[in-house]
Amino acid sequence: MEVGLATNLFKAAILFYLLGAAVALILINRHKLCNIISNAIYSVASALLIVSSIIKIISGSGQINISLFESPIPFITMNIRIDNLSAIFLLALSLLVLCVSLYSMGYISHYYGKRNVGIFNFLYSTFILSMIFVFTSANVVFFYIAWELMSMLSYFLVIFESEHEGNQRAGIIYIIMTYVGTAFLLIGFMLIYSYTNSFDIFGSSAAIPEFAKNIIFIMFLIGFATKAGAIPFHVWLPQAHPAAPSNVSALMSGIMIKTAIYGFVRFVLCYLGIQNTWWGVLILCIGIVSAVLGVAYALMEHNIKRLLAYSSVENIGIILIGLGVCFIAFAQENLLLGEMALVAALFHTFNHTLFKGGLFLGAGAIQYSTHTKDMEKLGGLIKTMPITALFILCFSLAVSAIVPFNGFVSEWLTYQSLFANIVSGQAGLNILSILAVAALGFAGAMAAACFVKLFGISFLGLPRSDHSLNAKEVPITMKIGMGMLATLCFAIGLFPLLILKLIDKVVFSLMGSSILEQLHGGCGIAYYSLNLSSGSISPAVMLIAIAGVILLALLGIRIIGGKYIERKYGTWDCGFEALNSRMQYTATGFSKPIKIVFKILFRPSRETVVTGDLAYHPESIEYITADESIIEKYIYNPVCERIKYFSRRMTFGVQTGSIHSYLTYIFVTVLLLMLYNMIA
Amino acid sequence: MKILLYIVIQLFVIMMVAPLLNGIIKKIKALSQKRKGAPIFQMYFDLYKLCKKSSVVSDVSSWVFKVTPYIVFATAIAAALLVPVSTMIAPEQLPGDIIMFVSILALGRFFMMIAALDTASTFGGMGSSREALISSLTEPSILVSLFTVGLISKSTSLLQIMNVMKDKGVPLVHPVYIMIFFALLTIIIAETSRIPVDDPSTHLELTMVHEAMILEYSGRHLALMEYGAAIKQLTFITLLVNILIPHDQLIALTGISAVMLSLTIYLIKVIGVCIIIAIAEVSTVKLKLFSIPNLAALSFILSVLGFLQYFVLGGRYV
Repeated sequence: MEVGLATNLFKAAILFYLLGAAVALILINRHKLCNIISNAIYSVASALLIVSSIIKIISGSGQINISLFESPIPFITMNIRIDNLSAIFLLALSLLVLCVSLYSMGYISHYYGKRNVGIFNFLYSTFILSMIFVFTSANVVFFYIAWELMSMLSYFLVIFESEHEGNQRAGIIYIIMTYVGTAFLLIGFMLIYSYTNSFDIFGSSAAIPEFAKNIIFIMFLIGFATKAGAIPFHVWLPQAHPAAPSNVSALMSGIMIKTAIYGFVRFVLCYLGIQNTWWGVLILCIGIVSAVLGVAYALMEHNIKRLLAYSSVENIGIILIGLGVCFIAFAQENLLLGEMALVAALFHTFNHTLFKGGLFLGAGAIQYSTHTKDMEKLGGLIKTMPITALFILCFSLAVSAIVPFNGFVSEWLTYQSLFANIVSGQAGLNILSILAVAALGFAGAMAAACFVKLFGISFLGLPRSDHSLNAKEVPITMKIGMGMLATLCFAIGLFPLLILKLIDKVVFSLMGSSILEQLHGGCGIAYYSLNLSSGSISPAVMLIAIAGVILLALLGIRIIGGKYIERKYGTWDCGFEALNSRMQYTATGFSKPIKIVFKILFRPSRETVVTGDLAYHPESIEYITADESIIEKYIYNPVCERIKYFSRRMTFGVQTGSIHSYLTYIFVTVLLLMLYNMIA
Repeated sequence: MKILLYIVIQLFVIMMVAPLLNGIIKKIKALSQKRKGAPIFQMYFDLYKLCKKSSVVSDVSSWVFKVTPYIVFATAIAAALLVPVSTMIAPEQLPGDIIMFVSILALGRFFMMIAALDTASTFGGMGSSREALISSLTEPSILVSLFTVGLISKSTSLLQIMNVMKDKGVPLVHPVYIMIFFALLTIIIAETSRIPVDDPSTHLELTMVHEAMILEYSGRHLALMEYGAAIKQLTFITLLVNILIPHDQLIALTGISAVMLSLTIYLIKVIGVCIIIAIAEVSTVKLKLFSIPNLAALSFILSVLGFLQYFVLGGRYV
């Protein structure tokens, strides 16, 4: 009965999203009306989907089967099957979409009369639908169609503000990378089909020989890592996410890149089964590199959205570290550790959806009221946008894995799985694991630095330009959207078992055993603390301790020092008495020491152009700093050069433009095919 | 009941001893320079005086500036609660482990760094930016060191680690622990803003790190910041001495007298580490900022070598 309810709610949610898409097209010329109504419909749909997925997970390990479309053509069927794994991703998606849709009611208002809001909302809802189908499709063909749709629709959304400089280029890079990734996935799927003659995602992979599984794994690894934006396949991510409108960036960074994590769990862990330890080791290595380099490049950015995009690369790295440990443990048949690492990875996926979605919404709010994404032009926003500032502070703490927010709990679980992996693994794995611990620590501290920079430079100090001087607080709907996500981050940070119970059910239905017993051992009041045999934490108790100490400190100082007397005065300026906003530290200056220390990663260069006589009469001095990514320089540029060279050669030799030679090609091909048929 | 007792004793010891350490270190420095120096209890008087003074607050700053001293102080205390001064008074379970310890301190540091940017002062930004660098460099080594002792004890809980180390008798004769000891000592020097990483007594703005971040503070806010820093310093020293130089196994007594004896030995150990820090401080010069990575790398390598030693020695022999 409960499953039936979940099914009906899911169907209703799908219908509502479709309705929203239709409404958006019908009201295409009434921008305001269209935006409010369609976003209200999406919010309702998302609320239904939230309820549906929670009911699904709570009700047990069963599956929901819905047949959308059966056709006489083989394989072209659209079957939906929702198990707990799909449901947890649907839950993350719908929570995010609910907040983003509320936010969009206000955010899209700056498009009124300037852009086609109807088309935008249509694309937005179909993009959400395509992601829902990616998470729920029951056969590979349908999965592939949904995957393609998702890539294509997000491409249109990325280039929605196409007149801005660079957005077209970002779109091109995105679509190329996404198709390269998809091509690898396609090879993997075709290999699977050639061995099993089945497109069923839930089928058995017993018919696939071992060596083929290795090849399929590599194909999936490249395909999914490209979508996830893991280094070295990340080049599209810092281009595409900043180019898209902020509500779409929130969806892309929050949930779209997580379809790859879903893919890893669904196709590699559940379908193929873990064969070799090196699969996990490879994923762990990619995770370590992504976490460290992602955050290092994030720190160098002063475009808020590019910084957030690189931070997504870092967080994907942390998720992949968890997933890598999980794969290693399953390969060595250490089920308990595997499950714990899987819980850690899924939990971090869930948490990242909430706080990174929130951060992109916050970046959108800044852009909405200041019309710039450049931190060097911001400053002092905490006075003009106090509520937004508070929310961004919460998200920043969450993403830096700081107590008492949700990011900390999932990183704690990741650390604990690495710890357990060192206890159980072999020497090589142990060394890799301790390096992963060091990488996580480094990434955590760098992430804190990164978000100190984001918050400190944009919200604190003096306004650096008129953009931020004249900023106004954003509309109420935008605040509600961000506020809900911030509340969730805080609540999950304090009571992690709220979500961990659901994730544990997911792992239970996949692997058949539960680790919840272990997680909250002999604790009296459930929910507030996490216990493992190797250690325990309770963020709620720590928060109470901190709050208690603050109260005691207030009281103690009051008793010793009497009433608080405050004197307002200018900031210390060494007696110069003309402190202005240009004397503050800049975003570039803030990260300069780290840039110098790790110059091997950033290859910084600087150039000073002086016109006139430098010593006595300089007319103008121009100072340019630049840094370049080593990955783009040493991997992508050479490959691109080779491809360009090769295509240029092709125009002379093969693709000459002459119709006669093309006819010859067709004739020769047909001839060869006939010969092949005669022989074979 | 035992938890309440623990909190009371722990808070009392930490809060009473923390300012004393600064006094001792300053006294040793003064004596080495043939000065008489301030009395070792000077910091208590300073804190008292600061509490009574009014605060000057920059007109540029926001609520972040005023909230930060309380958060810095509270996180230092909360972190101190996770590191028992004596295993005898500790309850069965503490609400956090080494990862929580690092994260709690990160909360305080996060606020200190943003508060430094809040006043629009260049010095604040400078301190904040340098702190970001130093904390990123020390974080891997702190985690690897603590993970290594954690692995030996099969637990990430600091209390559990201390209990296991206690049973091992005199751990500092094994190479693993020697490496970890020096790795942690280097980290303590960096984390508590001491020479050669930072100079706590300088007020030359261009070389400051920690002092630059709290430059704008005055009155009770400054008192909280200074007190928080002193407590953080004591917490790190406690971590070092109670893990690597355990003493509770030596005490045959029971009851109150055992606890008193344990706390006395603890105090002697802490003062011993203070003397090492003071000697390091008078015998070296402050490194330039871009030499700090070398020191951090040294600490990281020591901690990883410690970890590798643990495997060479096969874990159970350690």
